[in-house]
Amino acid sequence: MGSQLALKSRIRSTESLEKIFNAQEMIASSHIAKARDVALNAKPYTDAIFDAVQALVAHTHITHPIAVKDENNPRVAVLALTSDRGMAGPYTSSIIRETETLLARLEGEGKKPELFVYGRRGSTYYKYRNRDVVATWEGDTDQPGVEIAETISNTLMDAYMKPADQGGVSELYIVYTEFINMVVQKVRVLRMLPVEIVGNTASVPDPDQEVDTANMSPLYAFEPSLDEVLDAILPKYIQSRIHECLLTAAASETASRQNAMHTATDNARNLIDTLTRKLNASRQASITQELTEIIGSADALNTKEE
Amino acid sequence: MAGSDKTTMQVNIVAADHPVWHGEAKSVTIPAYEGGMGILPNHEPVLTVIKQGTVTVVEPDDDRHMFEVTDGFISFDSNKLTVAVERGRDVQYSTTEQ
Repeated sequence: MGSQLALKSRIRSTESLEKIFNAQEMIASSHIAKARDVALNAKPYTDAIFDAVQALVAHTHITHPIAVKDENNPRVAVLALTSDRGMAGPYTSSIIRETETLLARLEGEGKKPELFVYGRRGSTYYKYRNRDVVATWEGDTDQPGVEIAETISNTLMDAYMKPADQGGVSELYIVYTEFINMVVQKVRVLRMLPVEIVGNTASVPDPDQEVDTANMSPLYAFEPSLDEVLDAILPKYIQSRIHECLLTAAASETASRQNAMHTATDNARNLIDTLTRKLNASRQASITQELTEIIGSADALNTKEE
Repeated sequence: MAGSDKTTMQVNIVAADHPVWHGEAKSVTIPAYEGGMGILPNHEPVLTVIKQGTVTVVEPDDDRHMFEVTDGFISFDSNKLTVAVERGRDVQYSTTEQ
């Protein structure tokens, strides 16, 4: 009898868990559509900046610090994009695993990595282990706005533009999850700074070549001057790249949460079925036992009277 | 498209989180780095930093669009103007009498 009560309470608690998982799954699938819209809305801006940077590269041999950085500074920055909430399957743990691998590799190369973390799960992970984290940001990992991208890129740009003796960094890596489709999300490591520009000029541009490249695309006039345009556009380029990473990470997080919650709902339902079968069997067994006892004792009484 | 007369240009205004406006225009005034700058169709290719201010677009039928923008940049080539800004919004829509 006791086992029947225990089974009943397990079924009840599994049922309420199933409801939570199911609700989380539905929330995640409604967020996916929103995340996709946000990414689509941001795309024209990213494309405009990308085109402008391409135009700049086609005309000039960039010597701006954002594109070329002195290699003698061993300090590098690593930004890990994790999630604020759990219930997203292996999303945060695979980011953390990849980050650890990257940190170990950088240290192996004689560099001194500094860690920046976005997302509550990641920052609590490192705080709990008393690891040095330069800066953390929390909030809105599943729907990041322009503001958070701006805050993060400003901090990182500051760290990057500072001279080496004042704690500046010479490289910036981002560990994020790329959204490939609803079921596949891949953890990627991107070296964001110095900018590796994918120009149509594959070889290193030198003054002799400049005439050729200039003929290929329209000849731009830069106002007020090339340097000032570079100063203004490259930080925006970085910011829009970071924003892009945040958006794709958010889409991945939502998709990963939806998958995890879908599996959890299925598992809960299977568990409820199994437990219900066990409950039925044990109830049937106890009824059979009672019947046997009643019939047995009735038989015994009857034989006595005869 | 290619055969149409070149008295108008394609204008595309995008903010970091959403496209603001796109369409045809016969002139555009932008808050360039060193003061206002007017752009007419067939301007030479140019890439300019802009500061906070108002972008005014005059459509072919003399309709005027005003957009409040933060800093950003514009690029113009092959009769296409792209205005990329951090934040931008449509502030006023008026028809001029001229």
